[in-house]
Amino acid sequence: MAEPVARGLAVRLRQAGPIPLDVELAAAPGAITALFGPSGAGKSTVLRSIAGLYTPAETFVRCNGEVWADTAAGRVLPPHRRSVGLVFQDYALFPHLDVRGQLLAAMSHVPRRARERRVAELLALVHLEEYAERLPAALSGGQQQRVAIARALARDPAVLLLDEPFASVDRALRDALQHELAVLHRALGVPVVLVTHDFEDVARLAAEVVVLEAGRVTAKGSVAELTAAGSLPFGLAGKREPAVALDAEVAAQHPERQLTTVAAGALALLVPAIAAPLGARVRLTISSREVILATERPRGLSLHNIVAARVAEIRDAAQPELRVVRLAVEGTPLLALVTADAVRNLGLAPGREVLALIKAVAVEAFA
Amino acid sequence: MRSIGALGRIVAACMLALLASPVLAQSARDGSAPAVAAASDLGFALEEIKDAYRREGHGDVRLTFGSSGNFARQIEQGAPFELFFSADEAYVERLVRAGLTRDEGVLYAVGRLALFAPHGSPVDPARGLDGLRPLLAAGELDRFAIANPEHAPYGRAAEQALRAAGLWVALEPRLLLGENVSQAAQFAASGNAAAGLVAYSLVLSPTLERRGRHALVPAEAHAPLRQRMVLTARASPAAERFYAFVQSPAARAIFARYGFVLPDG
Amino acid sequence: MDWIALRLSLELAAITVVVLLPLAFALARLLAYRPFPGSGFVEAAVALPLVLPPTVVGFYLLTLLGAQSVSGRALAAVFGEPLAFSFTGLVVASLIVNVPFAVQPIKNALAAIPPNVRDAARVSGMGTWRSIRRVELPLAWPGLLTAFVLTFAHTLGEFGVVLMVGGAIPGETRTISIAIYDRVQAFDERAAGAMALFLLVVSVVALGIAHSAGRRAPRRG
Repeated sequence: MAEPVARGLAVRLRQAGPIPLDVELAAAPGAITALFGPSGAGKSTVLRSIAGLYTPAETFVRCNGEVWADTAAGRVLPPHRRSVGLVFQDYALFPHLDVRGQLLAAMSHVPRRARERRVAELLALVHLEEYAERLPAALSGGQQQRVAIARALARDPAVLLLDEPFASVDRALRDALQHELAVLHRALGVPVVLVTHDFEDVARLAAEVVVLEAGRVTAKGSVAELTAAGSLPFGLAGKREPAVALDAEVAAQHPERQLTTVAAGALALLVPAIAAPLGARVRLTISSREVILATERPRGLSLHNIVAARVAEIRDAAQPELRVVRLAVEGTPLLALVTADAVRNLGLAPGREVLALIKAVAVEAFA
Repeated sequence: MRSIGALGRIVAACMLALLASPVLAQSARDGSAPAVAAASDLGFALEEIKDAYRREGHGDVRLTFGSSGNFARQIEQGAPFELFFSADEAYVERLVRAGLTRDEGVLYAVGRLALFAPHGSPVDPARGLDGLRPLLAAGELDRFAIANPEHAPYGRAAEQALRAAGLWVALEPRLLLGENVSQAAQFAASGNAAAGLVAYSLVLSPTLERRGRHALVPAEAHAPLRQRMVLTARASPAAERFYAFVQSPAARAIFARYGFVLPDG
Repeated sequence: MDWIALRLSLELAAITVVVLLPLAFALARLLAYRPFPGSGFVEAAVALPLVLPPTVVGFYLLTLLGAQSVSGRALAAVFGEPLAFSFTGLVVASLIVNVPFAVQPIKNALAAIPPNVRDAARVSGMGTWRSIRRVELPLAWPGLLTAFVLTFAHTLGEFGVVLMVGGAIPGETRTISIAIYDRVQAFDERAAGAMALFLLVVSVVALGIAHSAGRRAPRRG
């Protein structure tokens, strides 16, 4: 049972049909909460319910202390009375308005004199200053998405909702957009709810994650905890192995070696150089497939990371001949995918001290 | 609105202009001159009488022509006619009984039936109705026009004349029924029918005279077409004036020219 | 050319359009956006005047509006004059008969707006009126134009209902289409021809505008 957050978003939705729902979630301001699950799990429905486009039989939505919907009390605000910014999966830009017009359309709450200045600010924020006069048909997919985001922000929303924002963009664009979103959300200071069925989005961006399957919440908590506990059903980039997602920071730069040291709690790793200042926050994703275990320190390897860890738990993997070994580097979790045979050979058991070997290139760092 | 194209703006302007014009201009609705319902056989005669009426400075009337039966029904349903020229007394009597009239009205003329054939038709009106028989037998008679006997007096008279001549059964499948006697005449004059039995007053008009030949049907062949006119309960003084004018010598002369038999008086 | 009849027809068409279009817009909006229980029935009722012979409509209207019926007398009290055989009666008949011409094009144009775009308007802070003004009308205006043009042209040409309900009284209910019929029966083919040509031109222009408007589908962002 989640405690209501005084600032931030609190949601409770329940109904038997036509779309079965049993969801309780909270999103803290200044953090991205991912709503994660397979297609058809009801994630978009939850988002629409927060926005007010849909009202399940039992609905409670409170944002920043203001109750937007409470079916028990018979009080449900329509969408245009909620200070919500929603970025649709297909952007849903107004076909007849240019970029400036899209933003102005969402600014009914802004005094007329201030509108132009606000439009300029938003355009600068999403790097679309030169495109103010363009119609949506003359914009690329990525540009349309930025306009959609800017329009949502034009509302000065108390919560930002994004529906599969990276689903229809190519890899390169997605990386760029993810970086921008990471920067943006910290500046905004409002709860951000991101709907996605792709684990990479969760690993890179989300602080908290709520797992939704068939309308029910099957897991929720911090990304690091849930990845380590194996509660997220999907592996990295479609490959179904478990991985850990860790919050880290840039601890040191080694320009002469083209390497950077990142530290996630007690776990310090060398990774290929990251262009970020010291102390910058970084998200690390390490697939369990990339972690080798050793009982003695090897020599003469290209490996940069040999880390002392203790075996915390050994679980069955999806394949019967494999095992997932959960390690703890003091407080920081790590996962390794090994064969059952290897477990026997090395005599691995909870409590055993081992060495975890991780290639520098195997650590995915997202700044 | 930036979003509406040039075409939209042009059309919007036209629409506004159109909408404004009937409003700015005086409304076309004009209820001053009395509305007069007249049997279609009076189409030419009554127009001439109306012109004479206006020339003498008595005012104007609004004439609507149609079948007598139709008008009787409409007046029963509240149609705002102030004066009704029926081609058959029976319809006037019906209205009198319903209390919709000022009085019992007055007989203004007795109508005559005529056989009319357009130029080029195999029918020769000079041979009378009997002349139709050989054509029918030879299959050379295509269609024959009369007014609808259900509600048009001239149609009923036509049926009576045809039955009297023993032609009704043979001709019935070939009948073109006009909604009123004017339409029946129109069918015949345009050549859509080989011939027709229509009002004498219509075929005497210059318009129809030059379109074909005609011959009177003997009056004994059908019940007399006693044409009666009556002021309705709504009649205004203006209607009364026209009612009086129609009975004046000038008007009666016009009726006579169109082949009507005038009642004495 | 019977100028009085023409002006009568233009007045009838103009009043019909002015009264009917806003009502049609509201109804089209309801039908286009969300099916509600009974909406199928409403849709069928809207389409009914398209398939019913005008004389059937005229017959029922005359029964309803005629001085002999209870409803007719009640309506006469409201409007101050009997509705049958009056211009007001024609307006009532015209409004009913034109419902499909006004509602269908607007409904199709509104339904063509992607639901997400409408939702985007709502979450961007637009209530119903602002959404209509800033999103729905700009995107659906070709449909409104088509509705306007079709209703206007159809009213100009309406015959059967007008004849039955109106009675062809000059200056009151003798519209231009009735006048054509009248002139033909009076053997005045020239006048009939002039008016028929006028109506033909109006119909062609109306269809041209409707066709051109239909092609201007708003671009999808």
